[in-house]
Amino acid sequence: MSDTEVETATEQILRFDDGIPGFPEAREFVLGDLDEAGTFQVLQNVGNPEIALVVCSPWLLVPDYEAVLAEDDERELELTDPDDAVVFCAVTLDEAARAFHLNLLGPFVVNARTQRGRQVVLTESGHPVRHTVYLDDDDVTD
Amino acid sequence: MLVLTRRAGESIMIGSEIVVTVLESRGDQVRVGIEAPRRVQIHRAEVYREIERENAAAIASADRASALLGRRKPDLKRDPQSRPSNSAGEGPGEDEA
Repeated sequence: MSDTEVETATEQILRFDDGIPGFPEAREFVLGDLDEAGTFQVLQNVGNPEIALVVCSPWLLVPDYEAVLAEDDERELELTDPDDAVVFCAVTLDEAARAFHLNLLGPFVVNARTQRGRQVVLTESGHPVRHTVYLDDDDVTD
Repeated sequence: MLVLTRRAGESIMIGSEIVVTVLESRGDQVRVGIEAPRRVQIHRAEVYREIERENAAAIASADRASALLGRRKPDLKRDPQSRPSNSAGEGPGEDEA
């Protein structure tokens, strides 16, 4: 009966001590799968469920994506092993629902060991804040 | 806004831990050095604002996005050189001829 049940990390609280840009009070989040395959997830604030966004691993859509963290971000997140870093990007659906945008400039990074996270800003990366992915199945653009 | 005039090499302090030093000014560009505790995040304001705006947009579209993407199979086409999907196989491949 639970064949299709998806394992989620719903009960796990991720701590963003600085909040996220624009929402400095949003410090505790949970992450839950949105689709069965776990491609898309929802990052939701514990205190204010209205603060929720769809997120997705950037590598699923941008295989050559690189997230080089600033030293301060690494230190703050106590990321000593890159394998501990879980990276996901905010998804914004466009008005016509023909495409969505991935925020590659400001990914969320969570240390899976400590459950502490931060939305980092990859200032030097040149990554766009809006990387467009069309939903037509025909096209994925840069 | 507090406005101070400083020369190159001069600093201002913000609280007791943050020191902002004007390193050089040339034309309309000013180079600034900042010393602050590590827990203090420092960003170029316009980049930070961009992230703020995008977060707000993502939150505003979250209901629609989750309705659309949540019931959608992860069959988005990837870049040609991308790794194959690791989603559980579902029928025959969807590769185009």
